[in-house]
Amino acid sequence: MTPLVQVENLEKRFDAVRALHGVSFEVEAGEWIAIMGPSGSGKTTLINILGGLDHPTSGRVVVDGMEIGELSERELTRYRSDKIGFVFQQFHLVPYLTALENVMLAQYFHSITDEKEAAEALRRVGLEDRLEHLPAQLSGGEQQRVAIARALINHPKLILADEPTGNLDEENEATILKLLHELHSAGHTILVVTHSQAIGNLADRRVELEHGRLARITLPVR
Amino acid sequence: MFWRIFRQLLRASRGRLTVALIALSSGSAISSALLNINLDAEQKLRHEFRTLGANVVVAPPSAGSDAALADASIMDRIGIGSPQMIAAAPYLYVAANAGAQPVILAGTWFDQVAKMNSWWKVDGAWVTSRDDSSHCLVGQAAAHQFGLAPGSHIELRAGERKVSLTASGIITAGSDEDTQIFTSLEVAQNLAGLPGRVSLVQLSVSGTPSEIDAFTSRLAGALPGLDVRPVRKLAAAEGSILGRIRGLIFWTITLILILTTLGVLASMAALAMERSRDVGLMKALGGSVQRIMRLFLAEAAALGVLGGTIGFAIGVVLARWIGGRVFGVAISPRLAVFPATIILAVGVALLGALPLRLLGRVRPAEILRGE
Ligand SMILES: Nc1ncnc2c1ncn2[C@@H]1O[C@H](COP(=O)(O)OP(=O)(O)OP(=O)(O)O)[C@@H](O)[C@H]1O
Ligand SMILES: [Mg+2]
Repeated sequence: MTPLVQVENLEKRFDAVRALHGVSFEVEAGEWIAIMGPSGSGKTTLINILGGLDHPTSGRVVVDGMEIGELSERELTRYRSDKIGFVFQQFHLVPYLTALENVMLAQYFHSITDEKEAAEALRRVGLEDRLEHLPAQLSGGEQQRVAIARALINHPKLILADEPTGNLDEENEATILKLLHELHSAGHTILVVTHSQAIGNLADRRVELEHGRLARITLPVR
Repeated sequence: MFWRIFRQLLRASRGRLTVALIALSSGSAISSALLNINLDAEQKLRHEFRTLGANVVVAPPSAGSDAALADASIMDRIGIGSPQMIAAAPYLYVAANAGAQPVILAGTWFDQVAKMNSWWKVDGAWVTSRDDSSHCLVGQAAAHQFGLAPGSHIELRAGERKVSLTASGIITAGSDEDTQIFTSLEVAQNLAGLPGRVSLVQLSVSGTPSEIDAFTSRLAGALPGLDVRPVRKLAAAEGSILGRIRGLIFWTITLILILTTLGVLASMAALAMERSRDVGLMKALGGSVQRIMRLFLAEAAALGVLGGTIGFAIGVVLARWIGGRVFGVAISPRLAVFPATIILAVGVALLGALPLRLLGRVRPAEILRGE
């Protein structure tokens, strides 16, 4: 079986800055990968390239059989809505849309909206009584759960989370971890950038970056 | 979902959108007022112009000869009673001398001349009584030539006959009349030795061009053997003045629409700054540029329709006010102005929404990275 994600000799430059170079690894479908490393080591850059938000400078990135570096802007947009579920450190909800509408927005960009399904997704993350709230009326943890519901709504191949608990307290972090755990058990493929050893230890494997290079791939200590 | 997002978008940005709406409404108000004036005032001004000077002349058939053929009783036959007739003045032109120099004397009815030519600039005073035989009006060129001022005396001679008159006013008409001296009809007839005679009759008739044509041919039928013709020179002048007003209105509207666009641009630029993060996010979520732009274009179009409608309503009031103030005519609202205003307002709004359209180029990775 071919891996879901293949990264080969990936390089990304921002002018003089080499954010990534010589990075290669593979991810099997259903795996939970933690991407770790010090600040500035290229974790966000890697996630952005995998999510089709940025172009690699060179190297090959294949996700679900599609070579990302060769997609046009329009195809990348399609790719993001079809294959990827994003969760960001700053939650990134649309401030003037309700929780429900934020989830439906992803449906709208993907295909057609289904209010029942969106409400059900919010129920699964424990927000069934927050449907009509605006992001500003929700706690950080609740906003992040809306973002997770939104990331899942179109059944993506790949869930990409960039420090999803970075702005949360321990209690909320635990809730999010539990959700990620459930997603993993349900068979989702998850790549999560984290500084937290706790999350790193929950993952199947840890991809560690240093100065834009792949330092090592380790197995969690349990 | 489109309309759901659309509604929330409008609600979230109502502050900035209100500013843009105010700019659009005021721009549309002035534009639609001017358009309305252009459409409606034109016709009313044509009528107004009729009251400025003669537009029909009744003369003996051998035009050009100064034979004073028409009888004074012609004034009865013209029928001053017609509601279309604003004024009618008989004229007898006499070649006279003031001192050694020749001058054209125009004997006429002072009251009708004043009515017909109320726009003449008069230094001194009009002669108000039709048959005043001791005063005259002097064209400004003639006054200059003979050194006359209001109150000056002048002696006029024709052959052996002479008459002494006091200049009541110096008139400026901007035409041949400026070289003439106006006396009562009787004074001119006596001086020329042609009692009961006139050279021609000038009429001021109101109505549209076709109404005036109809009047002219009716009159020609009633006056066999006489030449009844419209005065083309004045009609042409009217056309050129209306053309200039139209040009003025066109350029004013253009200028105002440019200013309105700038106003809309300013608030849309601020809005674009506020929205760049959301657009980056929408693109990251797989929203295509067309889908996102469709929202903003719909927003701008809605703004245009609303601004145009408000502007039209205000414009009707404004047109009435300007019409009364400037042109002295009541402007009635023209429905054709409504779609025109809407089209202009929507066009301006779409143009002003340019900063929002530029948001399509936002790169989500950069937007989402920044705090
Ligand atoms: N758009 C950009 N232009 C220039 N340099 C960039 C850009 N994006 C990232 N970089 C640089 O690339 C390197 C990797 O950045 P990246 O954001 O991937 O690090 P990170 O591992 O996510 O760090 P952190 O843990 O602080 O989020 C950094 O040196 C950064 O300054
Ligand atoms: Mg990062």
